[in-house]
Amino acid sequence: MDAKRNMAKGPQLREGETRQMEGLDLESVVERARSQDAEALGEIYRRYARRVFGLCRYLLDSRESAEDATSEVFLKLQRSIESYDGSIPFPRWLLRVAGNQCIDALRRRQRGRRVIVEIEDGAAVIEAASSEPSPLGAVISTEERAQVRDTIARLPENYRVPLVLRYYSELSYDEIAQKLDLERNYVAALIFRAKQELRRRLAHRSK
Amino acid sequence: MECYSEQTCALAVDGELAADEARRLRDHLTTCARCRALVDALRAENRVLSESLHELPDEAASPAGFSRPRWSWGWGDLAIMAAVLAVGSIISVWLDELSIPAALEWVNPFSLSGRTNLISYLFYYFARGGTAMLADYAAVVGWTSLLLLLGGGALLLGRRGRLRQPGLRLLIVLLALSLPSFALERRHGEFVTVAANETVDDTLLAAGNTVRVEGVVNGDLLAFGRTVEVRGTVKGDLVSCAQKTEVSGTVEGHIYTLSHSLDLDGQLGHSIYGLVQSLRVDDRGQVGEGIVVGSGDVSLEGVVKRSVNIFTSNGDVSGSIGRDLTMAGGSLTLTNTARVGGNLSARVRQMKDVHIADGATIAGKRDVQVNVRENHFTRPRFYFYQAVRLAGAMLVGWLGLVLFPGFFQATTQLVGSGWRSLGLGVGVLAGVPVAMVVAAITLVGIPVSLMLFAVYLAAIYLAKIWVGAFLGRILLKPSGATKRDWLLGLLVGLLILTIIGFIPYLGGLVRMGVVCLGLGAFAGQLYRASRPVMTA
Repeated sequence: MDAKRNMAKGPQLREGETRQMEGLDLESVVERARSQDAEALGEIYRRYARRVFGLCRYLLDSRESAEDATSEVFLKLQRSIESYDGSIPFPRWLLRVAGNQCIDALRRRQRGRRVIVEIEDGAAVIEAASSEPSPLGAVISTEERAQVRDTIARLPENYRVPLVLRYYSELSYDEIAQKLDLERNYVAALIFRAKQELRRRLAHRSK
Repeated sequence: MECYSEQTCALAVDGELAADEARRLRDHLTTCARCRALVDALRAENRVLSESLHELPDEAASPAGFSRPRWSWGWGDLAIMAAVLAVGSIISVWLDELSIPAALEWVNPFSLSGRTNLISYLFYYFARGGTAMLADYAAVVGWTSLLLLLGGGALLLGRRGRLRQPGLRLLIVLLALSLPSFALERRHGEFVTVAANETVDDTLLAAGNTVRVEGVVNGDLLAFGRTVEVRGTVKGDLVSCAQKTEVSGTVEGHIYTLSHSLDLDGQLGHSIYGLVQSLRVDDRGQVGEGIVVGSGDVSLEGVVKRSVNIFTSNGDVSGSIGRDLTMAGGSLTLTNTARVGGNLSARVRQMKDVHIADGATIAGKRDVQVNVRENHFTRPRFYFYQAVRLAGAMLVGWLGLVLFPGFFQATTQLVGSGWRSLGLGVGVLAGVPVAMVVAAITLVGIPVSLMLFAVYLAAIYLAKIWVGAFLGRILLKPSGATKRDWLLGLLVGLLILTIIGFIPYLGGLVRMGVVCLGLGAFAGQLYRASRPVMTA
């Protein structure tokens, strides 16, 4: 169990090998990883574990679940990297895999139901001008960015998940709708409302 | 022209507006300053969101490895800890210096005699309280274990996950080991007896106020009760947990016992292993092999064919020992009739604690050593052994780190959860032996119990490694999380723990605390690692 887990968590490379890999461009590393080269897989882990973990941490509710999901993503990567066809940049592809993993995890927690359930309240057709505080300012400090992150992490799941998929994984509304099994309009409404809620909470916090 | 809504502008900024709609909006923006400002603000907001998210939360700094330990122990906690240690030290010094009359020594929990007494009473009351129910209880535990094994197997078969393969293998091994337990005869009652003309062909599990064997048991005898008497013959081993165990007949195998007293005036084929308050081998008693016991009082009047190893507060030998006599503890007396076929070695506090009568025969060498507590710091050998132990611990730590890097580092980190680990550790330290005893009551549980025991011992040893590594880490505060940092931290932490360990009284308490902390962290990490994992 541990061996498997550790392999997924970060293959232990000898220093020389790590340095040799560090110099390689992403394309060659991915190419080598496709032929199941353990060092190359390790290098991919080294380069992207943080980002994958970050996504999992945003989408899932605990550090432990995020760690588990990250492990799974890199375990799955060994099996599925052959299916990567280069049509989109590798990091985006990897984040998509990670997003799927997290959504699966969320779905499993909901016992197979959809992660986000559509509520018939006309959300898709909000057109009235918002009375909420104006959009966030252009330049904000590091501290404020941490506050934004923290507030996003505390948003309800139906707001948090689409927001993170859009602005971290950079998926389109269609892709998000497909992943979450929702109508595109509903996704648009959720993202819009998520931002409004975020603004409201941030304004409330800074008071 | 009418202005666009905020949502439409947001769609446009996200690049999600249909092409012709987007073009109309762009045209509008050239003329409408209000909408232009809104779109600019929304665009800026997206950038802020994206930037903020991409900076990642702090805990993502090194997901797999080893972020800074979370030292949740405040100064207040440390002050409480120091106060507890100080009070504990004062009480233990006071108790140790009390001059307790020899006759009352057995109630002093700090004396060897008191300790063995305490343990034997504990087990006696445990066994006695449940004596009547013990066999039923054993059956229930046995069936429950079996059902759990089968149910667990079915559950694991039906799911995918990290634990599936190793879990199934473990269950198959346990099931295979537990099957022989069906060849077990159980008897219980106030008075359990195997009559003189009776023969039991299986292993007999007997529980009662009095368990008496006058006939023949062809298998082993597992006996729990107030009094266990073997007057007939047991062809296998005798395993007893009783207030009083008496063997006046024959046991052809070994005796394993946890009793208040064990009297042997019959024949024993092999050896005695046990923890008893009082062990007596009567002048008619004969032991075919050797004796290895921890005991308050030992009296050997009969014949032991091989070696005797006793850890006792008071040993009397007047019989014959075929080979070596090795003793450690309080006092040793060899009378005129005593005969030792090999060497005599004794470790006592003072020379006058060993009395060897002139008529006693010792064929080999006499080696009586006085354990002086204070002087070991002056001997170079002491430092050598300490260095070897330290190197051993470092080696174990290194091996653990190489084999299970994630587990070792995460466990080290969990030490930092402070009181939670400590509390959990105290629970595990006290709870596991109880669980082992309960599991061992049934044969199904014996392999589980033995495995648990092995893991328990290993974890107690590893506790200092995890705590040491944690201590080193909070002192050195390395910036990286490499193996070298971890090992350096371990070295520093172990050195500090070793030195503190030599402070009288306080050292013992600290060592105890380290064991509890480490065990707690280990248990916590085991729990975390064994939780079901999501798979695709």
